[in-house]
Amino acid sequence: MNVAAADPGANDESMASVRPAAARRGAAGDPVIRTEGLVKDYGKVRALAGLDLEVQAGEVFGFLGPNGAGKSTTIRLLLDLLRPTAGRIEVLGRAPAAGSAGLRARIGYLPGELALTGRRTAGELLRYLARLRGGAGRERIEPLARRLGLDLGRPLRSLSKGNKQKVGVVQAFMHHPELLILDEPTSGLDPLLQREVLDLVLAARDRGATVFMSSHVLSEVEDVAGRVAIIRAGRVVDVDDVHTLRRHAGQRVELRFDGPVDVALFRQLPGVHDATVEGVTLTCLLSGEPDALLKAAAAHHVRRWSAQDRELEDLFLDFYRTPDDEEGRTAEPGDTGPAGGPGDSCTGARGDAARSDDPREAEDER
Amino acid sequence: MSAEKPATGGRLTVFGGVLRDGLRALVIWAVALAAVCAMYVSFYPSMGGSGEMQTLIDQMPEALVQALGYEEVATAGGWLSSTVYGLLGPALLLVFAIGFGGRLIAGQEEDGSLELEYASPVTRDRVFLERLLALCVATVALVAVVTIACALLVVALDMEVGAEQLLAGSSGLFLLTLGYGTVALAVGAASGRRSLALGAAAGLAVLAFMFDALGPVIDAGWMTDISPFSWYMGGVPLINGFDLRGLALLALVPIVSAAGGLLLFRRRDLMV
Repeated sequence: MNVAAADPGANDESMASVRPAAARRGAAGDPVIRTEGLVKDYGKVRALAGLDLEVQAGEVFGFLGPNGAGKSTTIRLLLDLLRPTAGRIEVLGRAPAAGSAGLRARIGYLPGELALTGRRTAGELLRYLARLRGGAGRERIEPLARRLGLDLGRPLRSLSKGNKQKVGVVQAFMHHPELLILDEPTSGLDPLLQREVLDLVLAARDRGATVFMSSHVLSEVEDVAGRVAIIRAGRVVDVDDVHTLRRHAGQRVELRFDGPVDVALFRQLPGVHDATVEGVTLTCLLSGEPDALLKAAAAHHVRRWSAQDRELEDLFLDFYRTPDDEEGRTAEPGDTGPAGGPGDSCTGARGDAARSDDPREAEDER
Repeated sequence: MSAEKPATGGRLTVFGGVLRDGLRALVIWAVALAAVCAMYVSFYPSMGGSGEMQTLIDQMPEALVQALGYEEVATAGGWLSSTVYGLLGPALLLVFAIGFGGRLIAGQEEDGSLELEYASPVTRDRVFLERLLALCVATVALVAVVTIACALLVVALDMEVGAEQLLAGSSGLFLLTLGYGTVALAVGAASGRRSLALGAAAGLAVLAFMFDALGPVIDAGWMTDISPFSWYMGGVPLINGFDLRGLALLALVPIVSAAGGLLLFRRRDLMV
């Protein structure tokens, strides 16, 4: 695999323009994806428990949730691999089962776990998939493969996980679909290629395509997504602008001083939650601007400073908390718990999440 | 982008892909089958045709002879019936067809390689029917190899088997093999489970063989009435030529199982 060979200038799609997300969202026309009360049971196991989604034309929509929340089930329902137990689905204005092959011709799909086996080469598989599309996208196999640094002559079974993922990316994008459904698109790729794939997503959006991408990591979608839905146990628990979500997630801040400090000085600051002092180290959660915290800290001698964006996992912990296991945290007025509306559902429930210490954060100093 | 009509796959694309994937295995099977046929048929002059075989048969208990289907083994047609057409041919071809049929949908779905095809603009009917066609063509090819190998040796060894008898036997062999291959394909398509597909098809094939062998011995006519193996060999096509009733019954197996499999495949959840 030769990453350096990818030439960003070689392709018309490489330049991602500034995001006009707000302008595109809510544009005229029916939603590209709409589900209402979507239920899917596997035998006695309920995978989706009344999922409501609306994805508008031209938006990059993030679909976030932990493994097992129902993301892949939803995606397979959209593609008519699965049939709903109850509820309605519409994709590009049609029920997937009724739309069948003609509908899937307008969709590009990247599976979450792409199994590629056999003696066939990557190029043979991609040309076969193009033939299944009546030849659509055939001429883009080469340029896309070059851009991602994928060797088309290698047998599928000898490809690494990252290279298999590239095959998946090529076949999803090659025919310029109106709707891209990407299940964890950047998993298994190195950061350079993640960027390359996200650029493809932005280019597709700029072309007018709608992108529905799932992930269990907020950072994977936050650079490209406009709106984000969070799914938990088969239901959408929140739909929000990705930046709002990021703000809700906040940062975990750690400050080390040269001597003991009084925690009370920091507890009252705006945007600071769950401040604790242990010896000379203050840790807290910060939402909104860091200004007040920085000014308060500046009154002391600060030895070390680290601020780490909270990841989606932490947000999920907030959402997963059911009223029963919230003892010990101080209830805040207006906190309606996990099912609360967008805006308030993230606040107030952060304490435990923050205390579940993440070793990664200790090393990340900024 | 959305103005032009989105293209769906050309006809027989799936068929071509499946056949290309299976070509290597198919060639190996063809060579092996030809070799086995050649070996067994060429034993005829020293075994079946030598007269000693008939002496041996005469000394065996009648029931055993009946169970083995060796009544006519000393004739050229009987020899072919008892060896290539009655035993090794169907056994090997069934192993191939059931294995192939079980892999075509269930196996490929289980290893995940069907997901992209399922998500492509190809209807489920085509995913199924073009695979069925591939199974048909592969089976025809291998039965043709058996037939040609036998025909060449029949001529070379100057055996008394007519072209009609040979073709009658091969027609039955084709339908029998296709039938159980289709059962494997259909059960796999209906369930997505390869082990279930293989188990069901192989189990039914063994049962058919046992019913055919045991029925005459224990005087249970119903056994041979419902055994596809009896429909195939009961009329001794290599001696008596085409048995149209038998062939018609045999043809029902792939037709009925394919129809049932397709109906269930249309309604099922894929990749679960």
